[in-house]
Amino acid sequence: MSDAAFREGYVEADGFRIRYLEGGQGVPLVHLHGAGGPRLTPAHDLLARHFRVVAFEMPGFGLSPENSRTQSMPELASTMTQAVSKLGVDAFNLMGTSFGGKTALWLALQATERVLALVLEAPAAIRQEGAEPPSGSPEEMARRLYAHPERLATIHVPEPLTRAKTQPLVQRLRGPHRDADLESRLEELATPTLVLFGTLDAVIAPAMGRVYKELMPNCHLVFVYDAGHAISTDRPEAFSEVVVDFLERHEAFVISRTATVINP
Amino acid sequence: MKVSFFETARYRAPRGLPPEWPVPSGAYDPDAGAEAYRSMIERLEYVEELGFDWVSVSEHHYSPRILTPAPIVSAAFIAARLRKIRIALLGPIVPQSNPVRVAEELAMLDTLAQGRLVVGLLRGTTNEYLTYDLNPAEARERTDEGMELILRAWTEPQPFGWQGRHFQYRTVSIWPRPLQQPHPPTYALGVSRESCEFAARNHIGCGVSYAPFEVVGKATRYYREQCARQGWQPTPDQIVYRANMALAETDAEAEALLRSQPNQPPFAMREGVRDAFMRLDARNIAGEARPPIRSGALPTTFIGGPDTIVEQVRRCREEVGAGVLDLSLVPPGWGDAQLLMRSLELFGKKVLPRIRDI
Repeated sequence: MSDAAFREGYVEADGFRIRYLEGGQGVPLVHLHGAGGPRLTPAHDLLARHFRVVAFEMPGFGLSPENSRTQSMPELASTMTQAVSKLGVDAFNLMGTSFGGKTALWLALQATERVLALVLEAPAAIRQEGAEPPSGSPEEMARRLYAHPERLATIHVPEPLTRAKTQPLVQRLRGPHRDADLESRLEELATPTLVLFGTLDAVIAPAMGRVYKELMPNCHLVFVYDAGHAISTDRPEAFSEVVVDFLERHEAFVISRTATVINP
Repeated sequence: MKVSFFETARYRAPRGLPPEWPVPSGAYDPDAGAEAYRSMIERLEYVEELGFDWVSVSEHHYSPRILTPAPIVSAAFIAARLRKIRIALLGPIVPQSNPVRVAEELAMLDTLAQGRLVVGLLRGTTNEYLTYDLNPAEARERTDEGMELILRAWTEPQPFGWQGRHFQYRTVSIWPRPLQQPHPPTYALGVSRESCEFAARNHIGCGVSYAPFEVVGKATRYYREQCARQGWQPTPDQIVYRANMALAETDAEAEALLRSQPNQPPFAMREGVRDAFMRLDARNIAGEARPPIRSGALPTTFIGGPDTIVEQVRRCREEVGAGVLDLSLVPPGWGDAQLLMRSLELFGKKVLPRIRDI
């Protein structure tokens, strides 16, 4: 799925050796993955046409060893801020997916002046009552994550062994469905923020999107039609188009620049 | 002088509303909305009884200020409930519409209303570009092309194709056609050079709004010059001026009434969006550049007791050339329905009879 232009690298930060995948040029766009771990999607390729995309593997996820040290989401956010600094990056755009959406919010709260804009893909920071992460067989997981798994050439769900390794970490860090501490701080977070939900998200209710909008002073909510929880896999072009536009223009992205000339 | 009442469906918010446009839908109160539309008809029956010539409706979105986002619906509803008054749809926002659909709906409405329709076509206020994702760089030319297509769809007797810049159709042949032939009285609404030139080229009326007489007068003078270049002269009826009026028993009371009104811009957007629009949208008055978005409230150009107002209407006729006044007696989005009814009564009894001959 991934473009060959993405290359692998490592940084030493906060006592962790942290892997990342990097592609493209321009203003840095740091991506923090969901609970399933890092995975390049077609959206990364599309975003890398406009930005220097750095997709991190957070400690304890993916190929990294088990992380029993990190005890809270703010801690993980602090680790990731240090990892970004180790790349020599000062100001950057930040994108968080699902679980990583909450990490991204904490990171933005801790390093507000460095985060140019924030993109939250189906963020899991605010969850409906009774929300449960995807589980079960690969087929069951796929049905929770994707709107149309039958349309995908390859279905990616976390390996059982990887899941067993990361589950305690995710359990520790994901926090309550409604995190009063975080939510009270969001009212002060003026970073331009784009919240995206797929209309068919079967993990986090798309209706949670409005809570970010209500809490955050500079927040925009976009529903991606016919996409599930994994928006950037289900509809990579639709996802990337609005993300690029938002990162380039922030709140002025509401003004259309689409040309409708049929013939000059 | 003819007079038109600008009906905005007075929505009385039961709670305070967020100041920004777009106003969150969640702040809408369905009962208050139902009451706004119910009392609208009551008010318009009185407007008709007072002898107003037209009632006008306009298209604005995402806000309680003017609660008629689909003016064709309000116009049809009003036309069905009132008997004599003309229904002025001022107007559909052309660049964000399907022009053929607009031509069909207006023809249907004119026929349903037994030929009582008046039409104004326009580009729309800058904020409305956000309503259906209109590119500011294209708004002007989409408006011109759409307006021309509407006129063509009304008048071309043979099925035709339209090979436009922004609109393309292989087959257009509308039914019904308007009852008023060749089409209802139609105005290009706006003070821009392009709008005035379009109106002159197509032998239709010109509609201007809100700014002081000397400012809108520049536009109507330009319009008349362009008509002369095209070899025709518009009648006074072909110039309509939409304005705010603060009318009371005495001049002093009218001044006090005006002072009590808030100085809020009509559709205030977030600063970042407003600043972007200031760069991206271009507006002019008869060719002279003006900022696309106002910082304060829309001006009120008629202020005073009945005698003063009559004099101002006379001046307006001379300086603007308007033969139709489209009036808000209390600014949209402000004041209570009682105040509006009192102003209407005063206008109908003490002003209207005295400006007929102007």
